[in-house]
Amino acid sequence: MIRRSTLDRRGAAVSIAIVLFVYAPLTAAAEDDAEFFEKQIRPLLVDRCEICHSAAKGKTNGGLALDTREGWRKGGDSGSPITPGQPEASLLIQAVQYGDDGPQMPPQEKGGKLSEKEIAALIEWVRRGAPDTRTAAAKIGGMTADEARDWWSFQSVQSVEPPVVQDASWPKNEIDRFVLAELEERKLSHASPADRRIWIRRATFDLTGLPPTPEHVAAFMSDSSTEAFERVLDRLLDSTAYGQRWARHWLDVARYADYHDANPKARQASCELTEAWRYRDWVVDAFNDDLPFDQFIEHQIAGDLLPSPTGDEVYPAGLIATTFLTNGVWDRGDADKEKIVSDMVDDNIDTIGKAFLGLTLGCARCHDHKFDPILAEDYYALAGMFYSSHILAALGTKGGEYTVNRVPLVPAAVVEKRGEQVTRINEVNAKLAELDKQTPKPSDDDPRRVQLIAQRDQLQEALLPEPPLAMAVQEGGTAGGLFPKIQDVPIHIRGSYARLGPVVPRRLPRRFAGDDQPPITSGSGRRELADWVASSDNPLTARVIVNRIWQWHFGDGLVRTPNNFGKLGMAPTHPKLLDWLAARFIEDGWSLKTLHRRIMLSATYQQSSRVPPQQVEQDPGNEWIARFSPRRLEAEAIRDAMLFVAGKLDSAMGGPAGDDFTITRRSLYVQTARWNRSSYAMLFDAANPDSSTERRNVSTVAPQALMLLNHPFSQAQARHVAERLQHEVPENETARIEQTYHLLFGRPPTSKEIDIARQVIAQGAATGWVDLAHVLLCSNEFVYVD
Amino acid sequence: MLNQSLHSRRELLRRAGCGFGSLALTDLLVREAQAEVEPDRSTQPYAVRSPHFVARAKRVIFLYMPGGPSHVDLFDPKPRLVAEAGQPLPFEKPKLERTKTGNLLPSPWKFSRHGESGVEVSELLPRVSSRIDDICVIRSMLADNINHTGAALQMCTGEQAFSRPSIGSWLTYGLGTENQNLPGFVVVCPAAVFQGAQLWASSFLPSAYQGTLIRDLNKPIANLADSSGDLARQRTKLDALRQLNELHKRERAIDSQLEARIASFELAFRMQREAPEAFDLTRESTSTHKLYGTGEAATELFGRQCLLARRLVERGVRFVQLFDAPVNNAWDQHAGLRENLPKRCQAVDQPIAALLTDLKSRGMLDDTLVVWGGEFGRTPTAEGNNGREHHPFGFTMWMAGGGVRGGMVHGATDEYGWHAQDNIVHVHDLHATILHLMGFDHERLTYRHSGRDYRLTDVYGNVVKEVIA
Repeated sequence: MIRRSTLDRRGAAVSIAIVLFVYAPLTAAAEDDAEFFEKQIRPLLVDRCEICHSAAKGKTNGGLALDTREGWRKGGDSGSPITPGQPEASLLIQAVQYGDDGPQMPPQEKGGKLSEKEIAALIEWVRRGAPDTRTAAAKIGGMTADEARDWWSFQSVQSVEPPVVQDASWPKNEIDRFVLAELEERKLSHASPADRRIWIRRATFDLTGLPPTPEHVAAFMSDSSTEAFERVLDRLLDSTAYGQRWARHWLDVARYADYHDANPKARQASCELTEAWRYRDWVVDAFNDDLPFDQFIEHQIAGDLLPSPTGDEVYPAGLIATTFLTNGVWDRGDADKEKIVSDMVDDNIDTIGKAFLGLTLGCARCHDHKFDPILAEDYYALAGMFYSSHILAALGTKGGEYTVNRVPLVPAAVVEKRGEQVTRINEVNAKLAELDKQTPKPSDDDPRRVQLIAQRDQLQEALLPEPPLAMAVQEGGTAGGLFPKIQDVPIHIRGSYARLGPVVPRRLPRRFAGDDQPPITSGSGRRELADWVASSDNPLTARVIVNRIWQWHFGDGLVRTPNNFGKLGMAPTHPKLLDWLAARFIEDGWSLKTLHRRIMLSATYQQSSRVPPQQVEQDPGNEWIARFSPRRLEAEAIRDAMLFVAGKLDSAMGGPAGDDFTITRRSLYVQTARWNRSSYAMLFDAANPDSSTERRNVSTVAPQALMLLNHPFSQAQARHVAERLQHEVPENETARIEQTYHLLFGRPPTSKEIDIARQVIAQGAATGWVDLAHVLLCSNEFVYVD
Repeated sequence: MLNQSLHSRRELLRRAGCGFGSLALTDLLVREAQAEVEPDRSTQPYAVRSPHFVARAKRVIFLYMPGGPSHVDLFDPKPRLVAEAGQPLPFEKPKLERTKTGNLLPSPWKFSRHGESGVEVSELLPRVSSRIDDICVIRSMLADNINHTGAALQMCTGEQAFSRPSIGSWLTYGLGTENQNLPGFVVVCPAAVFQGAQLWASSFLPSAYQGTLIRDLNKPIANLADSSGDLARQRTKLDALRQLNELHKRERAIDSQLEARIASFELAFRMQREAPEAFDLTRESTSTHKLYGTGEAATELFGRQCLLARRLVERGVRFVQLFDAPVNNAWDQHAGLRENLPKRCQAVDQPIAALLTDLKSRGMLDDTLVVWGGEFGRTPTAEGNNGREHHPFGFTMWMAGGGVRGGMVHGATDEYGWHAQDNIVHVHDLHATILHLMGFDHERLTYRHSGRDYRLTDVYGNVVKEVIA
């Protein structure tokens, strides 16, 4: 590389124009040419030129492509626009300077003249000899056409036969043959089956988030029939606790929060998420009812557009499900309302992409995707659908709060009737007030008063209940916003609504849904989007959910980046197993409960977590699943298990969340508030509700220990456990210790453990049993499941 | 090597349980962590880690003035505002306005030159002025958002709209912390501020790196045992717990998580003995209290915050963020500028000057970076007749200590204090510079989340070399 002296640079700068004063020559000198191109020039070309000059997008106005180095070298109708080293002789520079004769680029209708700084950067680039690092073939976003075609997750789900394995005795179902084939190839051996006590504890926590009762353990231990395992799974899957547990997994992905503000008194109704809980309850019901997953998806993207299956005018479940779209995080923003709307659109695209498709669609907001075949055009084609829908009833005044859209879950006629009733009650009240103003004030038994009160009471009696509301999305843009109706929207240059490019028709991402999509002629397009996402032909959707379910059972997915099946994601460890599971899942009518059974009845799931150290060393990350990975319970399961063994857990379903975690309801019903990070749940790594969480962290920090040791809640549960056992086993100390172990750990204690327990009881004197219960609630065995 | 270290730790814990005494368990854990190439963050989130290169600063105290302190009344004198008082701004205002402001409003306060450097500071901050030779005033700050929420998020996390880890989280993630018995990242914020916990959230970084919030200085850390009697009983229980956990672990493969959880209970026990001491301001001398103004009504609250910050960094806490927030948005003078800005200045002036003096006299200012500012400045034009609007287009922040050149002014706004003009320092640049001073290349301090590497400065940020000594 030839380095010119600073003097030369200054000389060149002066000879061109004063614009170079903006571009500090000293900074330029410090920058490497390639870096200069990447940072200053490439984004500029992408943002401002490639809209019309891109071979990859099939638009080369004037025959000129600027998206590859070869493109500008070859040039267009007027030859190459760049003469390296000579800005004065380069048509590109004349065009961007809006010279009097010749083209003026970018034209006014595409955003107009570049800034002085941008022009100066282009001049500097040409002067340096137009260094250009783009040597690869033309790309669609971040992939060439060939790469996109060959990328594993973009290909149709393959129908695969389970492989033949040498050890035919181990597999219990097809899953095991896929897993064993990989183990055999790597000369790894699987673990032995877990002890039955361990299996039932694992399965019970897994499906319900609660420990098994001693009775359930005993029943399973004595059930020698071949259906013993199935029977346990059936019982667990039929329990309402199953939905309460698995809804929480989905709520992580759906970035669910009950409220913004943890303080009930500070919640401002117009922007608060006061009806979010209906969505949470709908998710619980969907899991408990085994709602087919494709329908589960359609409801969340376009439930407001679905007909009621019972033919009613209003379909509450459909409306409620769209709270998936309306329960996001965005600046309450008192001034820049347009930015809020564009952030809402972005949140919807980003969340749908990650949650259902494993695609980081949100990355194409400001520029074409850097890694996957998704263009900014694709993004704004989708954005049109969400700009054509509304989450807000009103943007609010500058300086004020916005109002979330709330939709009554009863027919319009009922709402109207109630409105009339309220009006009439108000009228009667007004008359009463009128009466009171008279002097002298009419007495209590004044006939006029008596009659009015009777009338009011009658009306009050007949008054219809206040209509329940859902935070639902509805068709039509945001009133008072930039895009107030159903419409296509322009590309936002660099993601900003203040710099608009060409309008893009609403459609699905081209690489995935093809070039010949029927135009969206009525409605926002969410219905079409929902159909495409939830289609059995979509290569991503079934794989993505099957992988999530696998992860929630095993701790890790077959793809270890469940929100990203694109180029930056990880490849599946067992691609054929993933495809087999996805294909069967679709065949089974997208049934999650069938999938749970299949996974949990496999020998793979039933393996022990205890293997010799050398086996761990052969596969430290357990990628090949030659053992079960022990796991720490989640925040919710730790708390629920404490309440459960204390005999205090309130397992009631549904309704608004409680404000304080010291209540006795299941943790699912303790509020998640976006603005509070000091909660019990956050301390134990609950999902951050600001964006889709694919996998929770597991941290081990001293404040967790402090909470378990000193918080009145955990101390109370220790007391309750001790009281309960005293009641259940009043006399014999050893028997009571044994029962404690059965209750907390589903097993009898060893003699060594009995000794330690006796010491604690003796040392603690009056508080001995409470101390023992407290120690056991804090123990690793209580929070780690094998 | 690895096995050996695991073994020695196990040995250590066994001994620790038998006669805890003064055995510096955590010191050993830290030293062990340093010896290994990269301690596992899931089991030792706070172990000390090395930065990319030799750091100028080891710790940060961020003095955050929520609401947006007025640059043209404090650090950025504008004679043209006086000369053209009451006249319209002679150029078009940016399209993005919160509310329409009126004409130019000169500062009601006088500026004068201070120290050897002669940097001009407003009369509202006499004591900070006396420390000006330690301070680098950046007059060309630029932010992107005109609302408190978005702008404060950007200042604390680099991103205006979506959840990202805060700067304190990034630094504790990158460096760990030097005292395992105290949180590594402490936030002192008496009132609930806009956007609240998102300002110190770890977001997708493990929750261990979240800021520990202290609202009430009298009850700083949650869930500490109440009395020494409780502690003695707890020790008995912890001994039994350790024995049971060891039995449990014996049957299982080497699992660092189980080890870490055993250690976490011991650390919790020690924290209960150490934390109250660290937070106990009564252990400071009368003259120190006097220095910080903790006995005076006006300066008591922020004085105590600053004094606590010094005690914490002295004990190895990595990042302390103080919010001057007796109420929400105390620095948000839409109205009442003439009355309220002097009040705020009075509340913080002496404590901040005391903090700088105190750190310097203890030889800590050299490697403690102090940062001062809010989410934006305020308009040079009037809102009503006694207020100023939000102003992200050009405003002032300052830094001191930690490898920063004192007694200098970097950058400038235009003649009216409207647009940052010379040597513009965007919030991303400020973040890049703070990370640089702490020993990090901001482009390489990354975390993989949802298949992408994230960093504090997103795809932006240039280190402001001129402010580095």
